[in-house]
Amino acid sequence: MRFDDMTEAIGNTPLVRIDPAVHGLRQIDLYAKMELLNPFGSLKDRAALQMVRPLLAGAAERGDTVVELSSGNTAKALAMIAGMHGVPFKSVTNRMKVPEIKDLLLLLGAEIDELPGQAECLDPTDTEDPLSRMHRTLSANGSGYVHTDQYFNEQNVEAHLHGTGPEIVKDLDGRAPDFFFACVGTAGSSTGVARALRQHDPDVRVVGLVAAKSDFIPGIRTIDEVHEVGLFDPGVYDTVDTITSDDAVDGLLTLVRRCGTPAGPTGGGAFQGAVRHLRALDPTLTSRKTAVFIVCDRVESYLSYLRERRPALFGRPPRRNDTRDLAADEIAAAPTVDVEEAARWPGLIVDLRNPHAYQALHIDGSINIVDELFAEMLHGGLPFGRRQPVLLVCPVGEKSARYAALLTRMGHPAVRSLAGGIIAWRDAGARLVRD
Amino acid sequence: MTDSRPLPLTPRIEPDTQSVLAEEALLRQLVDGLGSPLNVVLPDALAANVEAFRAVYRHHRLRGRIYFAHKANRSAALLRRLAAAEVAVDVASLEELQHALGAGFTPDRIIATGPKNREFLWLAARTGVIVSADSPDELDELAALGRAPVRVMVRLSGFVSPGVQMISRRSRFGVPSEQLTEALDRVEKHAGRLELVGIAYHLDTIGIPEKAIALEGCLTALDECRRRGLPVWSIDIGGGFGVNYLADGEQWERWTSELARAVLGHRPPLTWNEHGYGLRNEAGTLRGALGLYPAFRPVSGAGYLDQLLSTVAPAQRRPLGELLLDSMADLDIEPGRALLDQCGLVLARVLEVRSEGPDTLVRLEANARDVSLEEHGVLMDPVLIPHRSDEPTEVFLLGNLCLESDLITRRRVTLPARPRPGDLLAFVNTAGYFMDFSASRALHQPIARKVAVHRAGERWSWCLDEHYWPVPEREEAA
Repeated sequence: MRFDDMTEAIGNTPLVRIDPAVHGLRQIDLYAKMELLNPFGSLKDRAALQMVRPLLAGAAERGDTVVELSSGNTAKALAMIAGMHGVPFKSVTNRMKVPEIKDLLLLLGAEIDELPGQAECLDPTDTEDPLSRMHRTLSANGSGYVHTDQYFNEQNVEAHLHGTGPEIVKDLDGRAPDFFFACVGTAGSSTGVARALRQHDPDVRVVGLVAAKSDFIPGIRTIDEVHEVGLFDPGVYDTVDTITSDDAVDGLLTLVRRCGTPAGPTGGGAFQGAVRHLRALDPTLTSRKTAVFIVCDRVESYLSYLRERRPALFGRPPRRNDTRDLAADEIAAAPTVDVEEAARWPGLIVDLRNPHAYQALHIDGSINIVDELFAEMLHGGLPFGRRQPVLLVCPVGEKSARYAALLTRMGHPAVRSLAGGIIAWRDAGARLVRD
Repeated sequence: MTDSRPLPLTPRIEPDTQSVLAEEALLRQLVDGLGSPLNVVLPDALAANVEAFRAVYRHHRLRGRIYFAHKANRSAALLRRLAAAEVAVDVASLEELQHALGAGFTPDRIIATGPKNREFLWLAARTGVIVSADSPDELDELAALGRAPVRVMVRLSGFVSPGVQMISRRSRFGVPSEQLTEALDRVEKHAGRLELVGIAYHLDTIGIPEKAIALEGCLTALDECRRRGLPVWSIDIGGGFGVNYLADGEQWERWTSELARAVLGHRPPLTWNEHGYGLRNEAGTLRGALGLYPAFRPVSGAGYLDQLLSTVAPAQRRPLGELLLDSMADLDIEPGRALLDQCGLVLARVLEVRSEGPDTLVRLEANARDVSLEEHGVLMDPVLIPHRSDEPTEVFLLGNLCLESDLITRRRVTLPARPRPGDLLAFVNTAGYFMDFSASRALHQPIARKVAVHRAGERWSWCLDEHYWPVPEREEAA
C-alpha cells in the first residue's frame, strides 16, 4: 500500500467475526465493522472527508476557517484534514464532556468555542437559542467560515451509502446482513449504510440505538436529541432501542478484554445493544443469520469517562506514607503550635497552599510546597532530616495536621502544624508578606 | 405509539408544606376572609435551607456571608425571620434597603447590588452598607456621598478562559474584567473615602464551567488587589443555585419528550394553541431550544454550591474551594430562589369549570402575574383543595384578566379530580420569584394579600405578613 496522503487510508476497514463463545448466540454470526481502524481514529473520517473536500480549495483561497458543531470525532478528523491544507478549524459545542478529546483537539490546532449554559432567570421571550444564532452567523456570506453542517449535510449520508455500506456487502460475499445495528449520532452512518444494504435486500432489519434520556454516552444522541438532527428519519429504523452508559461500558469491556478490539463506548454500546436484541430472537430462529454492528472509535480517548463511571477498574495498589491511612486519633494527636509560638519558629516553615495564594501573601521566610506535591514527596520517604524542625502551614490547620501526623508516624520528632492555619495567623494580626 | 396517559408534573412537597395543605378548613377560611389570590409564606421553613448552605461552608472549611436576594420575595415575614438567623441580605433598590434596615438587619449585614439611583446610593453610603459597584463611575459617585469610608465590592464580568473559548451571554452588569486596573485605580484615587472589601460576579447561567471561569477570574483579581497592597478578603459569587421543583424526574423526561413529539406533529398537542415553549418544527426537524427552567434538578441549591466548589479550576487545576481557602478568601453568596425553597404557596379560587370539545377550561380568581410560573418557565401542577382523587383530569388554567394571553398555564395540568367552582388550587413552592415579583393591579384586580403561617403546637396559626415578627413567645402564666 503506497499512498500520497493520509486521507487515502480512509475506508476499506475489515469486517471481523465476533467469537460465538463471547456473545453466546447459536444461530447468528455477529460481525463488527472495524471503523476504529480509520487513520484519524473513527468512522467520522469518512463523512469529514466527503463533506469538507469540495470546500477546501475555496476556503484556502479566501482564508476561511472550517467550522463544525462537533464535540468529538468529526472535529478531530476535520481538524486533521483542514490542517493538511493549511486551513484553520474551529469546533463549536456545548457537549464537550470528555476532557481528553478537548485536549486532543487543542493539540491538533483546533479552536474550540463552548456555548453557554441555560439562563437561571429564564427569559421565555428569548426564543433565540445560542445554537440558532451561531448557525446564522456561520452561514452568512463573507463570514469567514465554511460550515460542514454534519447534522444536515447529505454528504454525511453519501459517505456511507457509497463507502461503508457497500464494503459490508462485499465482505459478506455480495449479501446484505439480516440485521444491522448502529448507534445514532448524526444519523449519517446509520442512514447511509441502511440505504446501501436495503438496495441489496429490502428485508434487512435496521436497529437504531439511542441513549436513555438523562444518560450520556459520547457520540450517541438521546431519544429527544435525535429529533434535532436534520438527517434523522425515523423511517430508516425498524426499531429504535435505548442503551445506557452502563451497557456501553459493559460492551466496551467485552470488546477490549475478549475480542482484541480497543473500542470506545459507542462501539461498546452497539455491541451490547446488538447482543441484547439478538439474544431475544436467537432461540426462535431456524436458519443461520448474520448481523453487523459498527465499532465507531477507539478506547484511549475515554479514560476519564470510564474512570468516572467505573473507578474500580482503575484501582491502584496503595502507596506507603499516605495521609489517607491515618487514624482519626493520630490526626487529633498531631503536634501543633499556636500563632504566638509560630512567630518565633526557629526552623523550616513549609506552606502547603497553592503557588498563587503563596505568592500573594505568606509568612516571611516560609517556602511553598503545594500539598499534592508534598504528598508525592512523602511517598518516597522523609524529605528533610530528623534534626530539622519543621512547621507546616495550610489554610485552616487541617491539612497541615494530617501531614504533621504522617511525618510523626514516619519518625520525625520535631514537626508541628500551625493551629488554625494561615487564616488564624492573619486574624491574629501577624505579619504577611509578598516578595 | 401515542402515549395517551395523563402527563402529570407533580411538585416536590416537603412535610411542612404538606401539613399546611392538610389544613383545608383554615385555608378556605383565609381565602374567604382575605380574598383570592392569597399568598402564604412559611418563615419556619427557611432554617433548613440556611443550614444546608452552612453545611457546605463547613464541609469546605470556608467562611463568608449568605446574602438573601430580597428581590425573590417582598414578604416582611420572611425577611424578618432571616434577620433573626445567621444570614445577611442583598438589596437591589432604595425601598428594599429601607425594608431590610427596618426588618432588623444592621448595615454590616447588607449589600446593595444592581442598578442604583442616587437616592439608593446615598442611603447606602450614609448607613454604611457594603455596595457592590457596577462601574468605575459608581465608585466616584459613592466616594462623594459617604460620611465614613464606604465599603465597596467591584462586580466584574466578561471573564476569559484559557485554551477553550467559553461563550457567555452578554451581561448588562459589571465592570469588564479587562478594566479591573481602571476600577482599582479609581478605588486607590478615593483612598480614605472608599474601602475595597471584595470582588464580585454574578452570571445568569446554570452552567458550572462558566462560573468556574468567573470564580477563578475573581481569584486572579484578588491577587492583583494584594499586589497593590489592598487588603481584600472576600469574593462574592452571586446567586443562581437553583431549585428542584419536581418530585419525579421521569415525569419531567416523559413530558418534555412528549412535547417534542407534539411539536413534530407525532401526537396531539399538550399546549394551548400548540405553543412549543421555544421548540418549532422545521421540515420535520426539531429546531429552537426548550425555553423552560429545568424543573427537575437533583443537584440544586446547596448541592450546586458544593459542586461548584469541588470543580477543578481550569487554569490552576485545583478545586475552587481549596483555592479560595488557600487565598484566605471569604466566600459570599447571594441565593434568592434557593433560600426560599418550600417557603410559600399561592392559593386561588376556582370560578368556573367548562368543557370545550376535548378540553376542560378552568377559570381562576387570579391571573398569570399572580402566579408567574409560566413567565419564568417553571412547570409544575397545582394541588387541588379539598383533596379528592376520583377522576384524574387534564385542564387549562385561565386567569381573571380580560386578555387572550392571560393563561396561568399554557399547557394542560393534571389534577387528581375534576375541579368544581369554589374549590381552591394551591401553587406550591412559589415563594421564590413566582409570588409577588410580577403581580400588578391591571384592571383594578386586587394584588394578593400575604399571610405568614407558623406552627402553634399541633396546629398552624397565621397572621398578616406585615404583622409577623420572630419574637420569642412570652412565658405566660397558664
